[in-house]
Amino acid sequence: MMLEVSHLVVDHGELRALWDVSFRVGEGERVALLGANGAGKSTTLGAVLNLYRPASGTILYCGKPVSGRETHDNVADGIALVPEGRRLFPDMTVRENLQMGAYVRARRHTVGEGLDRCYALFPVLKDKADQPAGQLSGGQQQMVAIGRALMSRPRLLLLDEPFLGVAPIIIEEVMAALQRLSQDGVTMLLVEQNIRRAMDFVARAYVIENGRTVLEGTRESLLGDPNFSNKFLGLD
Amino acid sequence: MTAARRLPGRLLIAAVLVVAALVPIFGGAYLTTFLFTLLYAYIVAQSWDWLHGEAGYVNLGHYIYFGVGAYAFAIANVNGAPVILSFLVAALVTGAMGALLSFPLFRLRGDYFAFATLSLLPLFELLASNLVPITRGSDGILLPPATAMIHGIDVKMFAYYVALAGSVAVFCLSMWMSHTTFGYALKAIRNDEQAAEVVGIRIFPIKLQAMAYGAVAASVAGGTYIWSFRYIEPRTVFGLDVALIPVAMALLGGSGLLWGPLVGAILLSVGIQLLILNLTMLQFTIIGLAILLIGRFMPGGLLRAGWVQRVPLLAPLGHEHHERIAAAAAAATNTAPTATDGLPLARAKPDRSRVLLATRDLTMAFGGNVAVNRVNLEVREGEILGLIGANGSGKTTLFNCLSKVFEPIEGDIVFAGGSLRGLRRDTVSRLGIGRTYQIPRPFGDLTVQENVAMPLMFRADNPLDRRSAMAEAIRFAAFAGLRDKLAERADRLTLQQRKAVEFARALACRPRLLLVDEVASGLTPAEVRRFVDHIREVRDAYGVTVIWVEHLLSALTQVIDRLVVLEQGSIIADGAPNNVLRDEHVLRSYIGTGIKVVA
Amino acid sequence: MTAIIIQLLIGGVLLGGLYALIAFGLSLIYGVARVLNFAHGTLLAIAGIAASVMSAAWGLNPLLIAAILLPVFFAFGWLMYVFLLEPLKARNPMQTVVGTVLVTVGLLLILSDLAAQLAGPTNRNIRLDLDVFAFGGIIVSTTELYILLGIVGLTLALHAILTRTWFGRAVRAVTQDSVGARICGVRAGAIHAATVAFGSAIVAIAGVLYTLNFPVNPYVGFELTVKAFTIIILGGIGSLPGALLAGIFLGVAEALTGFFWSSDWAPGLSIMLLLAILILFPQGFLSRSAT
Repeated sequence: MMLEVSHLVVDHGELRALWDVSFRVGEGERVALLGANGAGKSTTLGAVLNLYRPASGTILYCGKPVSGRETHDNVADGIALVPEGRRLFPDMTVRENLQMGAYVRARRHTVGEGLDRCYALFPVLKDKADQPAGQLSGGQQQMVAIGRALMSRPRLLLLDEPFLGVAPIIIEEVMAALQRLSQDGVTMLLVEQNIRRAMDFVARAYVIENGRTVLEGTRESLLGDPNFSNKFLGLD
Repeated sequence: MTAARRLPGRLLIAAVLVVAALVPIFGGAYLTTFLFTLLYAYIVAQSWDWLHGEAGYVNLGHYIYFGVGAYAFAIANVNGAPVILSFLVAALVTGAMGALLSFPLFRLRGDYFAFATLSLLPLFELLASNLVPITRGSDGILLPPATAMIHGIDVKMFAYYVALAGSVAVFCLSMWMSHTTFGYALKAIRNDEQAAEVVGIRIFPIKLQAMAYGAVAASVAGGTYIWSFRYIEPRTVFGLDVALIPVAMALLGGSGLLWGPLVGAILLSVGIQLLILNLTMLQFTIIGLAILLIGRFMPGGLLRAGWVQRVPLLAPLGHEHHERIAAAAAAATNTAPTATDGLPLARAKPDRSRVLLATRDLTMAFGGNVAVNRVNLEVREGEILGLIGANGSGKTTLFNCLSKVFEPIEGDIVFAGGSLRGLRRDTVSRLGIGRTYQIPRPFGDLTVQENVAMPLMFRADNPLDRRSAMAEAIRFAAFAGLRDKLAERADRLTLQQRKAVEFARALACRPRLLLVDEVASGLTPAEVRRFVDHIREVRDAYGVTVIWVEHLLSALTQVIDRLVVLEQGSIIADGAPNNVLRDEHVLRSYIGTGIKVVA
Repeated sequence: MTAIIIQLLIGGVLLGGLYALIAFGLSLIYGVARVLNFAHGTLLAIAGIAASVMSAAWGLNPLLIAAILLPVFFAFGWLMYVFLLEPLKARNPMQTVVGTVLVTVGLLLILSDLAAQLAGPTNRNIRLDLDVFAFGGIIVSTTELYILLGIVGLTLALHAILTRTWFGRAVRAVTQDSVGARICGVRAGAIHAATVAFGSAIVAIAGVLYTLNFPVNPYVGFELTVKAFTIIILGGIGSLPGALLAGIFLGVAEALTGFFWSSDWAPGLSIMLLLAILILFPQGFLSRSAT
């Protein structure tokens, strides 16, 4: 089991963002966290990387607890995050943004081959390597964000709404690249608002509503449930 | 605290004042000078704290008002003006200067504000050195010896009494501020300037006043200084070292506390005096070290320190003065008759045919990203409108345009027949638009009652004084379920309680239109239902129109009349909730194709 | 007349370049650690005084002096951050601002007073007594050339560090998006301390260069910090080209003001410029709060 999250509780200051979140991701799997905006999906991903310290609950990565370890240790261990809003460095070039993905000491010497892999996955980035990242289109910036995450050779890739603000054609391209990565053995946890898009990509999904895991299932069981969309929209 | 218990304290203060008044007569020159220095430094320290302790701005250049006041007094006096007139000139000139400087300075906040104000000190030192015809440059100004005595008594004595009277006045002013709406406006600004605007406070004039009052007080101190010491030159009144001592005094004792600056002034004066007596050099190193240590270890001040709070006599000094007022006000509710039904709002039946709010081709973009794209939306009186959309759909931006967090780049918003273009947030609030925030922004260090009383103190027609506002606030707070929490500080409440405070505060703004921002996140289903009931009641009984932006559909569908869906900055559906939720386009936007909503 | 103006321009560009370096150090520190170091200019004054003392007493080459002072000031910056400034971040925002201001102002007072006690309050500089050149009415001294070389060299070194080292990239990354940097594994605390140390080292070298031609005394520090602040406002946080342009602009403006109007007013130019900018461009430079 690559990732095991049990009864996760996370506070943002005085605000409780997660009340009770539990899910598991097996090695090599592709799993989605679904739910409306504000449900707590981004907070969940951030907690896995230990950007947020949980109030209670456990997160086990390859059997080892993750909370209490610094973010950079988790990155060095093979967890990478493509954050919501991308969080690129707008005045740094595409190449420099990608390089920053290999910042952890263990990966610094692999920068060269890491860049080659990114350019192979997203050829347009090679053309734009010397352009400031802030000047790229939304879709291209998303590629940079994903590329940056890949530079640390992650075993577990966390993606937070990676298709927001991206043109449909680019979404296809990015999806294809992610498929290839998945075939290479990278485990993926995808946060999505759009069920169709998510279900096209993953085999299993959890639905999070207002900080709680409320539904779980495979693609077939969820889509086959006549009440699924009602449940998803919270109309039940 | 009953009047009887306050008596020993008051007697003590009176005794101290009497002793202080007798010092120039019996105390000798050294003691008199020492106390005089303490007194004028205290005036500067306390007047500094009006802007810092109350409003949260670190004005490191406050001492320029002392210097300018001293120079103004000196120039007037040297040119023949009698003492009283010289003081008046000093006060007027310095006050005007403080008001003028407010314009550029209040464009900054935080450490930038601190920096810019500190830079004024060397600037004014330069001005004083270079404007030789006015200030006699680095030669300085010497008051004529002929005026050093009045009726055979050294003016030092008179200056001392003026400083003593000034200190008492400044102290009383500080106390009085806690009772007034002006003081509350400052506290609101200290907590959250945007929220202060939303409750109807015009923040710039308030800040300007705080600056100007502080300037006038400091100028009087400056006047007494030169009247007594007879000579000034640029370095002694604008030097960095002396200028920061009053700041250190206020912070040492405890900024924002009634007794803080006084305690700090006494301690620091005594401390510096002892050092100067025992050390012939490194005096500024010591002063610098004192300032550094205070900053590093006690930026909250001595009176707030843990070990001081444990001493029963000293503990009350560590609380802000308004806390006592707030506690008294909350206690008064127990004796007050139980609140009559509902809110002190006019019961109104909305005219469902009239359009209250309309947007015309409303457009908002950030750089190249168009978030709201030529949106045309109409909201009728008495409607409860739900606004939904996926992440990135523009619903939050649209909401922020309506509440004037952003100014749209194109298009217009017409509210009750008038355009909202270019209006300030506090103006919009007074026109009748209230709002809540998704992450609540109550004024943290104020109580629930004080929070809800704010809009009542600053509304356009019939603004209430503090006492009446606090009383009326009870009914709003009770409506939101906070009757037992009136005396509780807002930053100690649970999330649901803070949302309730915001709701009550928004209602106290007497809105015709209430904008509710994602209130459901973080609440349990039961708490959500309670909110929904409040919103329904607010519309049914008082005719308030509601626009509610939300992602939790189950909350909205309980109460809304109409549902509007946004996608990529445009409206893709607008109508009855049942119809909208079956709309193919809406479902695709939210969920993707192939999914059906079961009837 | 032209010769005089060119002479002034040369002096102004030189001084402006030095201002820019001082400003850039402050800008890095602020962009990363969110600390406005009021004692920043005083560090330059101390470095300059130390340099002039070392030069006069031991006849050391300025390059050697810079090499000695660099690690000293680097260490000082690091310690200053770790012991005096970092603990304040744990407090509430208002107290952090006030605390940081008091700490750095206190340092300013302590350092300048100690320097005055130990080395005297009067002006000092490093006397090199080198040749002067004349080109058609314009006089340039070798010292000035060395300063120019030093400025250029330091600028190139800064640029190289910022673009080619992991540290430099991390500094720029944190300035532009601290959350993004964190996701990449950048450790906030270490980078903050390192940047404060780095910025302090820059200002020390600038101090040695400055003292080659311009006098320092323990009290010029704050005036220089004010100029650095103005340059940051003009040129933008974290921008080296911006700092250079703004710095040279200020240096030249001061030189021209000093000549055509009065040298008495030149020092106040930067703060008056700052106030003017604030009045004319209200939408810029807002909301720099402690949070």
